[in-house]
Amino acid sequence: MITARTKSPDDTRELAGAMAGLARAGDVVLLAGELGAGKTVFAQGFGRALGIEEPITSPSFTLVRIYPGRVRLVHADVYRLDHLQEVVDLALPELVDEGAVAVVEWGDVAAPALPADYLEVRLEWSEAEDERRVSVGAVGPAWSARQGALAAALGRWGRDAGP
Amino acid sequence: MIVLGIETATVQVGCAVGGVEGVLAEFHAARGRRHAETLVPAIQFVCQEASIELREVSAVAVDIGPGLFTGLRVGIATAKALAQALRVPMIGLSSLDLLAFAVRYTGRTVVAAIDARRGEVYAATYRPVPGGLQRVSDYQLWKPRDLVLELVALGTECLVVGDGVLRHRALFDGDSRITVGTVGYAYPSASALVELAHPRAIREEFVQPSELTPLYLRQADAEMAWRKRREGMGAPAGWTGSVGGRRNGGDGDGGVAVAEGGG
Repeated sequence: MITARTKSPDDTRELAGAMAGLARAGDVVLLAGELGAGKTVFAQGFGRALGIEEPITSPSFTLVRIYPGRVRLVHADVYRLDHLQEVVDLALPELVDEGAVAVVEWGDVAAPALPADYLEVRLEWSEAEDERRVSVGAVGPAWSARQGALAAALGRWGRDAGP
Repeated sequence: MIVLGIETATVQVGCAVGGVEGVLAEFHAARGRRHAETLVPAIQFVCQEASIELREVSAVAVDIGPGLFTGLRVGIATAKALAQALRVPMIGLSSLDLLAFAVRYTGRTVVAAIDARRGEVYAATYRPVPGGLQRVSDYQLWKPRDLVLELVALGTECLVVGDGVLRHRALFDGDSRITVGTVGYAYPSASALVELAHPRAIREEFVQPSELTPLYLRQADAEMAWRKRREGMGAPAGWTGSVGGRRNGGDGDGGVAVAEGGG
């Protein structure tokens, strides 16, 4: 588990961008955190770093949006789903298998319906209003192999790094 | 009795029309994944080329899978919409049965395997019987390696067809009793669908659009753990209320989503 701290939404976007630099086709990133924790902000920074120019908005109403970029981004939000079978029906593994990276908001709740091979990013409030604690944990082989590179990429947001 | 067949279980999208004279026109495209954009114009095309008005169609047949969810939902939704608009019944057939149907005169055991992605295949086994094939297994999700072991254990000559076996071809090439079907047999065909559905239509073995469901072999029989998650999470006090209110308001949630976007 890697922990980091961001100071503002823009800082969260930058951190997400640093992680996107390590992403490749087939990857799944699950975003955890309450409403307003910055999951969509994270997805925006992540997408921009993948070369997506279109504005990335919350996909709550469409469930899944696909953006073309250096690697295609599948941006999903399972907030409106009640049953895990509905997550299966989104066919996220199929979509990433065709050369895309999936970023799933509320993904920790969807995890039981997804292959156990993903990166979980949890965003939590910190003391200051715009500050967020970010914990990053790999589940399964795809991201576990990149944990060292991830820690290096997130170094400047490290827990002990002062403002 | 004219049957329209719609087939979208794999990367291929297809449709066909036919009747007592057999298949009158068919269309297949296997390049790209634009099932939604391709299918309806293709249906128009085959009807036009076969000089059939849509209102002459007496039943809509559709491949219900197993296969790619992203493809199946396009085909099944389109088939249901057409059947409802035309007020005609439906016939649902399995992608694996359609694959096996194409090689029904082989005289060998047939295994149909469709690429399920993520290193898995959907497969079923058929044995030769007078006049064709009979399915002798359930439709199942397999790791290709386990499927090969199962086939070796069968100890009979078998023919394996479908894009599932082609994707994992090296695993199947190891045993001399296993023959791998060529790319010509990789995808279920819409004409096989019409050919198989027509006698069923004559016998009136129909389902209503509301009864037809896809054959998804990946199941997740559980509610999502929203409640457990809420109790377990430590959000700041001011925020727990809005999380708890998640199921309550349609419009209210939209406002929350916008707020979330703002960081």
